[in-house]
Amino acid sequence: MIELQGISKTYDSIAAVSDLNMTIQAGRIYGFLGPNGAGKTTAIRMLMNIIIPDTGSILFDGISQRPPSNQIGYLPEERGLYQKISVFETLQYFAHLRDVSDPNTKIKDYLQRFDLGTRLQSKVSELSKGNQQKLQFINTILHDPQYIVLDEPFSGLDPVNQLLLKEILEEKKQAGKTIIFSSHQMDQVEKLCDDVALINHGYLVTAGDLSTIMKSEGLPQLQVTPVDEEDLTHKCFSAYDSIEKDGSIYIEIGTQSKQEIISTLNKSIDLKTVRVAEQGLEEIFIHLVKGSQ
Amino acid sequence: MNAWKIAWFEYRRRIRSKWFIIGTFGMPILILVITLGTGYLAGSGAGIETKHFGMIDETARYGEQLTDILDKRFADKEAPPFRIAVTNGSYESLQTQFDALVDDKTLDGYFVLPHDFLSNPTIRNYSRSSSNFRSTDIIKSELKELLIKERAINLDLSAEVLDEIFFDIDIAHFEVGASEERETDELIADYIAPFIFMFLLFLGIFTGGQLLLRAVLEERSSRVIEVLLSTVSYNELMGGKILGLGLLGLTQSSIYLLVSFFAGNYYELSILTPAIGLLYFTYFILGYLLYAGIYIGVGALFDSEQEAQQAIQIITFIAIIPMVLWTLVIENPNSTLVNVLSYIPLVTPFFMMIKIAIGETTNIQVLTTIILMMVSVYGSIRLSAKVFRTGILLYGKRITLPEIYRWIRA
Repeated sequence: MIELQGISKTYDSIAAVSDLNMTIQAGRIYGFLGPNGAGKTTAIRMLMNIIIPDTGSILFDGISQRPPSNQIGYLPEERGLYQKISVFETLQYFAHLRDVSDPNTKIKDYLQRFDLGTRLQSKVSELSKGNQQKLQFINTILHDPQYIVLDEPFSGLDPVNQLLLKEILEEKKQAGKTIIFSSHQMDQVEKLCDDVALINHGYLVTAGDLSTIMKSEGLPQLQVTPVDEEDLTHKCFSAYDSIEKDGSIYIEIGTQSKQEIISTLNKSIDLKTVRVAEQGLEEIFIHLVKGSQ
Repeated sequence: MNAWKIAWFEYRRRIRSKWFIIGTFGMPILILVITLGTGYLAGSGAGIETKHFGMIDETARYGEQLTDILDKRFADKEAPPFRIAVTNGSYESLQTQFDALVDDKTLDGYFVLPHDFLSNPTIRNYSRSSSNFRSTDIIKSELKELLIKERAINLDLSAEVLDEIFFDIDIAHFEVGASEERETDELIADYIAPFIFMFLLFLGIFTGGQLLLRAVLEERSSRVIEVLLSTVSYNELMGGKILGLGLLGLTQSSIYLLVSFFAGNYYELSILTPAIGLLYFTYFILGYLLYAGIYIGVGALFDSEQEAQQAIQIITFIAIIPMVLWTLVIENPNSTLVNVLSYIPLVTPFFMMIKIAIGETTNIQVLTTIILMMVSVYGSIRLSAKVFRTGILLYGKRITLPEIYRWIRA
């Protein structure tokens, strides 16, 4: 279990993170969400002991001392790889730093699994963006750490490899590892995470079990699909709190009733389908971020 | 332990790079080629362009004598530095003709010996450029000797007396307490060797420093730094880098010193003694660590190599001072200026290396400069650790001096 207790960090009188409290249970996948500049990376860097918090403390299994480096795997948001050395040397170096036993076998196994078996001696700079991301991920988990921290792990990956990454994360979760990841891809978070935390402007907006948050924070909404696709941008929607997604408009049901909204819209455009839908994580995220401004 | 792993990684990675191999082995070869090449060129006369001068001799006497003397002087040279074609006559009658020869570049210039040259020894030189100093000096000294002899004859002094008056002095060089005369090669080596030691020290320290700067910038710009810092501590990372690249510089210096040692032995010159070798490595380590602190601190502040190199220029400029003043140090090793400069940590290793190589220092001076360097290294590493820790993860931000001051004070 990891506990962030009232951690804060200020740069030049600008608060990057303010009094952040979070509890990340062992054996669960924890989604760390927030808009750009919310303080996610700063919080993760403090978690990784790269930055020292101005105040507060971080406890790993109740102890304020950071676990040994071979117990933590970290994948930063931006690719952090030596470009001029080979794939094998890269992994070997970090395996050596983390005291991995029998590293060569593990390296070859993971590279095979990620379809990089033939690129062992290739220079990192010769790999595509997606393959570099795979290499970075392998580097994060090669030493089988107890705590895995991933900042935007799906970035640059194709759907097949996103699936493979999810599969591995599920395996790690089953093995009792604690996984924290930040992402902007809400569908991935929704499918993968057990718990989430949302921060904005350095402050915690909400945190807890994902399904509980979805139930408590999710508002009912109308999913409206116009007959004519061009009507998706019709001005009649501007009167409501709405977003466009996958050829439909999702309207938050506020003070007006469903019937009132439908009859108002029918006066302006022809509607193909109308149904009541639960808000997804993305809508909840947007709603909460707007509410916390 | 992690610092050693990082050090080994950095060392192994760089020592196999083609640029290190080319730089390390290429430099002694280049020095050798330049030294031997210039020696060969100087000896063979290749590369020397013979200049052609005219001479209007109004005395109709000294010009011919001068050409005979010059022919003898340059007899063993394939290409003499200059030749003189003498024409007897007056300047007024020959001026137009000689000016035309200079204009169409048949002549590089011409001299006029006035009719009263014996009593009024003034030569006039007409030329396109004023770059004939060496030639005019030779002509002047040979004509002076001619005039002295001429005046001596006018005073009724015999040839034997003249020989008694004009003679050369030979200087025989001995080491104190030695009976064997020193050869010219040894004297030249004594003069050049201190410069070579200082140059090699400079090369080793700055190669290591530059590699350190690039290594920090590479990890900073490629964001590897974040992965590394999630694995090792700041001190381990910084220490490992300094250690690894320092070992690389040490390897390079050892190769250079071995080459110097074997080259010295080959020419039977004892330019590298164990004491000089030991002090060379002592000053190398201290100098490298001092500059490593500066380089690593600067590397942590900038996003691009170009910006970092600009910032480091002032430091490199200070370090070049000994390269400019080396002859001054050799000729005045105990002057106040040299002694003061020897106690400025940024240049101490270079000045002290020259003084040690020529044997013009005291044990007290060596000891005090080493202590001073150790204190400076401690300060440099300590300050740069603070800058490194704070600055390394600040991207895209122009860092100001007051900010750096705040980090250091924190």
